[in-house]
Amino acid sequence: MLDAIAECEKAGYADGLAAGLAQALTGVDVLCPPGPVAAVPAAAVPAGAAVIGHRLADLEGISLVRCADHEPARGLTALGARLGAVRLGITGLLIERAVEHLSGRTAGGEATIRKQLVAGTLADALTATESLRQRLLVAGHVAVAVTDLHDRLNAIDWEVAKLLGASGYLACGPARGAYVARLIANCWIAREAG
Amino acid sequence: MTELEPALRELRSTCREVAVDLRSRALAVDARPLEMAAHLDSETLTSLRTASTPRRFRDCDDSLFGASYTGSCLARVVANAELACGDAGILSANTGASLAGLAVDALGSDDQQERFYRAIADGRTWTFFAMTEEARGSDASAMQTRLDKDPGGGWRLNGAKRYVANAVRGGIGVVFARTGPSALTIRAALVQLPAAGFDAHLLDMIGLRGACISGLAFDGVRILPDELLGSHLPASRRGMWGAGRVFNVMRAQIAAQALGVGFAAWGYVREQRPGWSGLDLMSARLAAARALLYDVAATIDGSPGDRRSPSIAKLHVTDLAVQATRWAEYALGPGSLAEHPLLEKWCRDVFAFEFMDGTSNILRLNIAPVPARQGLAS
Ligand SMILES: Cc1cc2nc3c(=O)[nH]c(=O)nc-3n(C[C@H](O)[C@H](O)[C@H](O)COP(=O)(O)OP(=O)(O)OC[C@H]3O[C@@H](n4cnc5c(N)ncnc54)[C@H](O)[C@@H]3O)c2cc1C
Repeated sequence: MLDAIAECEKAGYADGLAAGLAQALTGVDVLCPPGPVAAVPAAAVPAGAAVIGHRLADLEGISLVRCADHEPARGLTALGARLGAVRLGITGLLIERAVEHLSGRTAGGEATIRKQLVAGTLADALTATESLRQRLLVAGHVAVAVTDLHDRLNAIDWEVAKLLGASGYLACGPARGAYVARLIANCWIAREAG
Repeated sequence: MTELEPALRELRSTCREVAVDLRSRALAVDARPLEMAAHLDSETLTSLRTASTPRRFRDCDDSLFGASYTGSCLARVVANAELACGDAGILSANTGASLAGLAVDALGSDDQQERFYRAIADGRTWTFFAMTEEARGSDASAMQTRLDKDPGGGWRLNGAKRYVANAVRGGIGVVFARTGPSALTIRAALVQLPAAGFDAHLLDMIGLRGACISGLAFDGVRILPDELLGSHLPASRRGMWGAGRVFNVMRAQIAAQALGVGFAAWGYVREQRPGWSGLDLMSARLAAARALLYDVAATIDGSPGDRRSPSIAKLHVTDLAVQATRWAEYALGPGSLAEHPLLEKWCRDVFAFEFMDGTSNILRLNIAPVPARQGLAS
């Protein structure tokens, strides 16, 4: 389990979302998500499956597949933990891009990266990702902890994307991966509606 | 708490009715933002255009919204919150005066206003307001786009802008640029298209795709002396001052649109899960935000130079709206975003408000108390 977590984070960070998702889905029946739709790497869409088009997901090499009546697959909490690790890789990348972006900008004659409000957000994001990584290691088998981890990542990714200014809103920009990661989590994280 | 007068209550219910039509067009505009032919002549978009045109420049006076839509900041806020609850993306996709109109109203002479509103009277002309540059967003007073003196008379516009709504399909707009090094040398030019040396391209954005966010490049675009706005005003009120007035009104309006998206997400969950007890907390938070926004709008009507109140409203409401869309996503269970395209679209659209008219950090700098005799943020 611990190796799988580390591998998934590495895949998300180094190889991208589709490669990370492929790794996380190892051994899972991809047509048995907890809800009516599965998110899978485009290369792994089963023949004849009904794909729901999504512009941003397509650009990330992810397909959303409608799944007819099925029982949710077993071991979804472990999958959720592996997916959380992939997302940590994506969030790490997003933080790096934000630091690069802000290091090259100035506001009022001072480097934007040096502004205390910016430094505070970056410090919070880094602290949160460290603590969430530990959570995966000690509580990756606890469903509620994994669900909450994905909700926290949704919030952290947005805080970091804001630091990119409007470039964080470009469909070809680094925030796209974080948004599509949210779509993937939305498909695979089991939660009671409400 | 601000109580709405009967005219504003009527405006609110008209906007609520109209919002249904906006929503019916929302997904089509998101998918194909450049294809607006099927929407522009609708009664809704036509009326919105008419209502945002000063009365003296209107061809006809039969807007669904009557006189009150742009009459005050409170009216704008009341209307925008309801309209954006229909859909915010299509609001930003409409032709008409928009932000550029506010700049022309604040900085333009009578002749310049006449020229601007005549240019958009056909209902087919988009306008643009170009301030942001690739390297200069929040720090707009450090912009680099130049107005160079043209030996033949007037000016030549050189430089580039980025993230400008509707510029790629624009017919007329306002471009900010500097004639010299000091902040007071930043001026606004009225640019009518086509113009030699002007180039625009569409940027692919994550959401609010109706806004057709664009990049612009200017290579010696000719600006005649009477195309420079504000020449009839004192030097201190010609450039960034006018932009500041525009931003103050817009900040509350953008907050209202964000609130509308928040209410849209909440209302959608209520439709899908009628009677669910989990609706109450978000309902209360949104209602309180609306009350805050109405109070702030009433304050701005009393003191238009107040920057702190609209900053408080926008900071709070844009964050709450993002939270409301996430709450809706979770409330509808796994697969909700793929199953409910409108909700998924709102989850993308709602991010836009963070960047428009002051990011959260800039608003924080406006809000935080500063020691006496220290300045405020821009
Ligand atoms: C949907 C949309 C519509 C838009 N429409 C228009 C338009 O019509 N016309 C136009 O001109 N522009 C428009 N913009 C651009 C918008 O005005 C800019 O995105 C905005 O001003 C922020 O600038 P930036 O993106 O360069 O970010 P930056 O200013 O570079 O900010 C990056 C990050 O640094 C933070 N930051 C910046 N300065 C400070 C500071 N002093 N202290 C602490 N933190 C700071 C910001 O909060 C942000 O998180 C639009 C953008 C979007 C997304």
